[in-house]
Amino acid sequence: MIRKLKHWLLWATLAIALLVTLTQLLQLYGLAGQNRLICQLLAGKDVGADELATSSPEVRMARAVYLGRHQRYDEALATLNLLLQQSGAVAQAQTRYNLGNLYLRQAMEKAQAGNINEAMPMLGLAKQAYREALMLDSNFWDAKYNLEVAMRLLPEMDRITSGDDKDDLSQKTQLWTTLPGFPRGLP
Amino acid sequence: MQAPQQIRFSLASLIITMLLAACSGMSNQPLRDFQLQTPRPFGYVIGDTIRHRIVVETRSGMALERSSLPAQGRLNRWLQLNDVSVTEQDGSDGKQYQIDLLYQQFYAPLEVKELNIPGFMLRFRQHGQTLEQPVGAWAFTVAPLRELVVRQDQHGEYMRPDQAPTLLDDNEIVQRLFIALTVAMGIAVRLAWLYGYLPGLPKRSVFKRALRTLQNLDLHHLPQALGALHVAFNSLHGKPVFLHKLAEFYQSHPEYRSVADELAWFFDYSNRYFFGDASILPQENDLQKIKTLCLHCREIERGSR
Repeated sequence: MIRKLKHWLLWATLAIALLVTLTQLLQLYGLAGQNRLICQLLAGKDVGADELATSSPEVRMARAVYLGRHQRYDEALATLNLLLQQSGAVAQAQTRYNLGNLYLRQAMEKAQAGNINEAMPMLGLAKQAYREALMLDSNFWDAKYNLEVAMRLLPEMDRITSGDDKDDLSQKTQLWTTLPGFPRGLP
Repeated sequence: MQAPQQIRFSLASLIITMLLAACSGMSNQPLRDFQLQTPRPFGYVIGDTIRHRIVVETRSGMALERSSLPAQGRLNRWLQLNDVSVTEQDGSDGKQYQIDLLYQQFYAPLEVKELNIPGFMLRFRQHGQTLEQPVGAWAFTVAPLRELVVRQDQHGEYMRPDQAPTLLDDNEIVQRLFIALTVAMGIAVRLAWLYGYLPGLPKRSVFKRALRTLQNLDLHHLPQALGALHVAFNSLHGKPVFLHKLAEFYQSHPEYRSVADELAWFFDYSNRYFFGDASILPQENDLQKIKTLCLHCREIERGSR
């Protein structure tokens, strides 16, 4: 009886092992497909909406990067906002950083076009996004650098000169009135 | 003799009294061993975290008022308190508190600048009375990451590019695939061995061959059928197997005990058929029994019985 049981256990294990092999092969195939989409998007070629529907957050992030590079800011923003709710901590920091970049780039474009009033809220949003990214990962150097870029564009000068570091958050709205203009570098 | 003894006695009492007084003085201090442990006070850039640890021992019955700790969140425009954790340990005489504060600073200086993490008052309470212990402000310097002159690239002001997602990692899947494949291969080889499919192992397939021979034989070929099964038993055992030597056969092949009755019948039948008085009339049923025995032996051979 035990011999018989052992024998059929062998067959059952073989069946399970083959099933696992098959599922892993399918997963590997799916993963290769997702990686192909990421490479395609990063190389500057768009992918179809039907392919995106079932894609992983990484693919959607790659699409957001692609959209940002092609100045399709609204679509990029929508894609990133969806990603904010889905991914894990590391990916969330990355998403927030890319969101910050999106706002910062738009703010720079608006500022260059002389539209300072529209650029300022964008800068505020960019700073907030970078801050959130840094709260998730304090060693995120690109976020540190770009936050400093945004801070220089919209400095918070009143706090530096006042000498009072215990400033309250209710004065935050005053920040907008202290914009000294966008530095353009040396002549 | 009495005077020096009195002096010695009063000296000893004095020392004991002094020691007791000293000890009781120590334990009466409401707060002992207050420490503010801080990291290096220089070399910070925007977004860096700074960890402060406060260690304090209290007299028994004295409790820390947690509301006196700074609240988690933004403390001012550039400073944020990300985490406050208090661990409490009961000591022999009172409690030891370890307070961890994780600050994060978001100051973008134009040059190296000194900043202060504001101090606060730690409050302790005992029997309705409050004791305050100041935690001093902590100064440190921050440095900029960018040069003063704005750096330009082809898109305008230089900024760090978007973070492209990394390619999906397939290591885990490959690992699982490899393990599953190895297990499947191992079991497949084992089953192939059991079923006698591996070359160079003729003993694993003696009944398989015998069964194949028996399938094509009818009642007219009963001697060949009996012979085929005898050949199978002999080649399995390595020497001829007889009815009276079955016990020896079972010793080396105990798995065949499960068909002991059938085997005894077969050897008895064969003896009577070949060496008996020719009174046996072969019947279809006998051939069927021989075939069934061979099938059972085949099942034992491959381990499924």
